[in-house]
Amino acid sequence: MSITAHNITKKYDNRYVLNDVSIHCKKGEICGLLGANGAGKTTLFKVILGLITPTSGTVIVEGENKKKIGAIIEGPALYEYLSAHDNISVFSRAQNMPISPKIIDDILKKVGLPLDRKDPVRNFSLGMKQRLGIAIALLNNPACLILDEPFSGLDPMGVMALRTLIIELAEKEQLAIILSSHIIEELSKICTTLYVIKDGQIVRQGNAQKIITDNTDEYAICAENIQQAVAIKGYKHRIVAQCAHVAISAEEIPMLLKKLQEEHIYISSCTPELNMKKLFKITES
Amino acid sequence: MRSLITIAFFKLFRQSKTYYALASLFGIELIILASAYFQGKNILDILLENLQKSFYFEGTLLNGNLLIYLILNTQWFHLPLILMIVLSGMITTEYKDRTIQTMFLQPIKKWQFILSKYIVAIVFTVLAVAFLAFTSFTLCYSLFGKGDLIVYLDTLNFFKQNDATKRLLFAFIAGTISMIFFSVASITIGIILRDAAKTWIVSAFFLIICHLLLKVDFGSHFFNTFFFAKLSDTWQYFFYTHIPWNIVYQNTLLSVLYTIILITLGVYIFHKKDIG
Repeated sequence: MSITAHNITKKYDNRYVLNDVSIHCKKGEICGLLGANGAGKTTLFKVILGLITPTSGTVIVEGENKKKIGAIIEGPALYEYLSAHDNISVFSRAQNMPISPKIIDDILKKVGLPLDRKDPVRNFSLGMKQRLGIAIALLNNPACLILDEPFSGLDPMGVMALRTLIIELAEKEQLAIILSSHIIEELSKICTTLYVIKDGQIVRQGNAQKIITDNTDEYAICAENIQQAVAIKGYKHRIVAQCAHVAISAEEIPMLLKKLQEEHIYISSCTPELNMKKLFKITES
Repeated sequence: MRSLITIAFFKLFRQSKTYYALASLFGIELIILASAYFQGKNILDILLENLQKSFYFEGTLLNGNLLIYLILNTQWFHLPLILMIVLSGMITTEYKDRTIQTMFLQPIKKWQFILSKYIVAIVFTVLAVAFLAFTSFTLCYSLFGKGDLIVYLDTLNFFKQNDATKRLLFAFIAGTISMIFFSVASITIGIILRDAAKTWIVSAFFLIICHLLLKVDFGSHFFNTFFFAKLSDTWQYFFYTHIPWNIVYQNTLLSVLYTIILITLGVYIFHKKDIG
């Protein structure tokens, strides 16, 4: 149960939308695809899902399941005039999947949607639609899941709930999950492997935390009394509200945090601030 | 395949626009009925001023049969127009709402999906014409009664009451076949253009062109016989004293053939194109 895309190239007229892109995601793994808008994330997903034909390259999806990949592309696309029950029923029947009201209820429960909503999904919040989209993607037990910008437009509660659901699907059901985002923070919280795409090319790939560490020159350290901190004065820094943006390497961070604690500076968060220019810089390799 | 047809019907009948279409067809029918009654009376008075002095006609000539005939004359433009809007929406709405993407993220075959749309379009067209026929007969007979039918086609043709009913029913059946052609054409146009507004415009343009060309004499027996635009008034042959069955059969066969060509073309294009 894995997804592999080999040397995918997609050309429109003379413009390369994808140029020799290869990615791999194995069973139980969550892979992130990070890229700015227009970098080629959605096109790559559409190629993997067979919605568009690549100019060259191959996609291999391993698994015995009738439905190999479940996905949401460019946000959940649902029959807005139908209820959640009817949407699940329509997409199930389309693939000749046996369906009953009980099965539908179980599916809705699995993604945390209320069972008593019989109104059209046009009345649903984006978070609820996103969950219903995932429920439809999971119909017929696919081995892999692809989620394109799943956190886009969700409120913090919705983001947290969706994040939990994705982690559960990878851990408990051993799904290979690829998700894309242009927000590094979201990917860094759940992905084990990260691919960075720029102008249709993969410019970085590997362990998500290592990529983040290697491309972080600055950390945002937040505390109520951060202005009084002495330890940060040894580093180039600037203070914005209750956060100090300190130019420091990942290796030096534990020592600085220890010193701040000794100064009774009680830190509420310490977030890596990625150097985007460095992250998206095309490497020679 | 059967499940795809079932869900296509389910979706069609769960959309309010389908009921708006049926209601508008019924509304048009009522308006035609009212205007036909008033105009028909004047036309009949002029046409039959002399004849009524010499011949005896059973019942009044401005009866249900004549009004059904007048409805038939006018509805063959409005009906395909409305059908084309509703039925092309079965494919263009899927593109607009991107539900076609979600659909093809499930393990379904492209040709089965699109063929199910065509089948639903054909069945819906048959149902719409049946609805029109049922309401026409019911309204016209209950309000204006039965009677002999007089039709002007090159010359005045008279049909006895029972014969008229039979001929009107045949006309509805023949009309259904040309309606199916236009419905199928709108789906194929929808597959090519994908956009609802563009599909409506091109479908309406296609319908208007077909109606204009229907009256044009190409000066060529081949074109006048085999060109698809020439086939949509086959129903009129049922109002000649002697029905030219060979022409009716030939035109019906050609219409079915053109319909199959359009379906094959649509399935091929849909299969070749990326969903996007």
